[in-house]
Amino acid sequence: MPAFAHILLASHDTPGARAAERTALEHCSAGGRISHLIVVPDLWRGMMGDDWLNNAATRDAYGKYVENQLQREIQSHIDRLRPAVLARGFAYEFKVLLGKPAECLLAHSRELAPALVVIGAPRPRGLLGLRSRMHPERLVAALTAPLLVIPYPR
Amino acid sequence: MVYTQRTPWTLIMGVIMVAYAYLVQSGALAGVIKYLGTDRLTGEMLTLGYTFGGIAVLIGLWQLVAKTAEGHIDYYLSTIGGVTFIMLIAFIVKWGLDPQMAQWGRAAQPALGFNFASVMNLNYVVMGIVAGIVIVNVFKVPGWAENGVRLSRLGLKTGVILLGALYSFAELQQLGKLSVVLIGVFVLGSVGLVLWWGARRNLPNSMTGVLSAGVGVCGVSAAVAAAPVVQAKSTEIAYTIGTILLFGVICMFLFPIVGKALGMGYITFGAWAGTGILNSAQVAGAALAFQPTGIETLKVAEIFNITRVLFLPIIVIWLAIWYVKREVGAKKVDVGQVLISKFPVFVLGFIILFLLSSTGIFAPARHYQGAYFDNSDKVMVKKDRSGKEVNNHLKDPDLQLLQKEGEKVKRDDQKAALQRLIENKKLMSIEDDDTLRGVVNAKILSKEGNAVLAKAHRAVRHTAAKIAMFRDLIAWFFTFGLVGLGMQITMASIRQAGGQPLVIGGIVGLIKAVGSLIVVMLLVHETI
Repeated sequence: MPAFAHILLASHDTPGARAAERTALEHCSAGGRISHLIVVPDLWRGMMGDDWLNNAATRDAYGKYVENQLQREIQSHIDRLRPAVLARGFAYEFKVLLGKPAECLLAHSRELAPALVVIGAPRPRGLLGLRSRMHPERLVAALTAPLLVIPYPR
Repeated sequence: MVYTQRTPWTLIMGVIMVAYAYLVQSGALAGVIKYLGTDRLTGEMLTLGYTFGGIAVLIGLWQLVAKTAEGHIDYYLSTIGGVTFIMLIAFIVKWGLDPQMAQWGRAAQPALGFNFASVMNLNYVVMGIVAGIVIVNVFKVPGWAENGVRLSRLGLKTGVILLGALYSFAELQQLGKLSVVLIGVFVLGSVGLVLWWGARRNLPNSMTGVLSAGVGVCGVSAAVAAAPVVQAKSTEIAYTIGTILLFGVICMFLFPIVGKALGMGYITFGAWAGTGILNSAQVAGAALAFQPTGIETLKVAEIFNITRVLFLPIIVIWLAIWYVKREVGAKKVDVGQVLISKFPVFVLGFIILFLLSSTGIFAPARHYQGAYFDNSDKVMVKKDRSGKEVNNHLKDPDLQLLQKEGEKVKRDDQKAALQRLIENKKLMSIEDDDTLRGVVNAKILSKEGNAVLAKAHRAVRHTAAKIAMFRDLIAWFFTFGLVGLGMQITMASIRQAGGQPLVIGGIVGLIKAVGSLIVVMLLVHETI
């Protein structure tokens, strides 16, 4: 498989996404760039549910806590991936977007015009994790760059 | 930041509401109203149609024409679009879909063998919440309506505060005691069970902590309050909230069906729903679904909701201490600060309304419970809407039946009250009414005999017009709140239910629902 100068990697720190990270590192050309996209699924907009008993202070504290928690989890993900990318001599950049995973990836890909897009395959049924799927069929229809979908590690 | 979004929709909705009210007033919709059987609702169609429609027309015009500037007024006015949106849905559901569904239910009864609309409680409350859920998940809540939709919480809280005026001291005392016992046992029991089970399954403490609050106390609200305290991870919050919403929505549909199938009364059902349903918003929904034309069940269920929310700060402190003991480096919690910050201020409003109404400031004290006693000829012989005279005195066949069954009554006071009823063809005093209610509750007479006593009871108990209006107002606040909260239940969050939290939460939730049903059926009586 050829090496690519600019890879857009969509990863959110699941086992499948980590497999995609390893592949991206293997197929980036010397001096190349890896753009890391992290999507915070828009399901978080509904995570206050139909709470009505709490006062504004409690709701505010919860909102800030969830925001900080997501930020911490994203930061620890970046802190794990960035050194691995830099150690191989590639440039690293990241972007965090809130929305539907496929829509965010398409929008970011249009903006960056990468040589290759790498994602992990959807999580097999029965495995635990947030239900917010990247739909490869939508990406195949709309992406202008080649798409590489890495099988879920068994 | 300017919150108001320039949209023609507020104006359009306002025009629709005003036009509808005008068509009702002019008699142009008389045929439709007669077909749907909603003529008793024409008063509220006019009042609410003109009031909300008029405000929406004015604000809608202002939003289209005027320049908006940052500030409080801009924020408050930005809510009008969403409020009008919710009210329009509530109007359509209550004045159109609800009676139509009832007709379809009756029409399909011969073919199905049962009235599906009645059995499944497809009334305006349930359909309003479903409409909200459909809108947010299929069409999305429009941006201009979002601020107004958030006000639905205020609608529910206002409803609870106003409800405070309708309790007597005796009711509040007895319901309060009952709710503290039931909620105490089932809240503490289910929180403890989840904590124990989570530890046995080696779940992270943060996961177990947030799940126990959600499953044990008051659903999503408790999860929201407890998540920061037990430092729950994002996925743990998502699993918990997904599980609670899934369970809550299912319960809201199932509880009224089961309650009716078991022949539960207002008090027993209110107590069961208030204890057994995980999520507090669905408690109000289930209570109104069970009894859409009155608020007796809601009154009972909301006392349980209030008790739950009063338990919340205590549970949060318990979880904080529990978590600190198990996690190295966990921050200690300031107990006083938690108690103050988590205290539900709206409960104070409820208490203030209760105290004010007890002074008789709004209406004579005996009117508040709605069923005040009056056996004068003025109310016993009335004219119905068509002008036909209706005599509410007991008829000869009723009196003969009571005479025949009279020997089953053994107690002297009950015998005497029954005799007075037979002689006068109507109940003669509050005491006689209360005494004979005891005969009904004890099921001393046959079903037919009890029906005659119930008819005599209904003939002398009346609802004051002022209180009836007040009850309607409360029901509208709850309807507004529940339709709006329906718009905040997303399938994306429900879909996160899964894994161990779903297994543990589902089983503990089921134990709580079934356990509270058994306790309520065995120990709670239908009279307060």
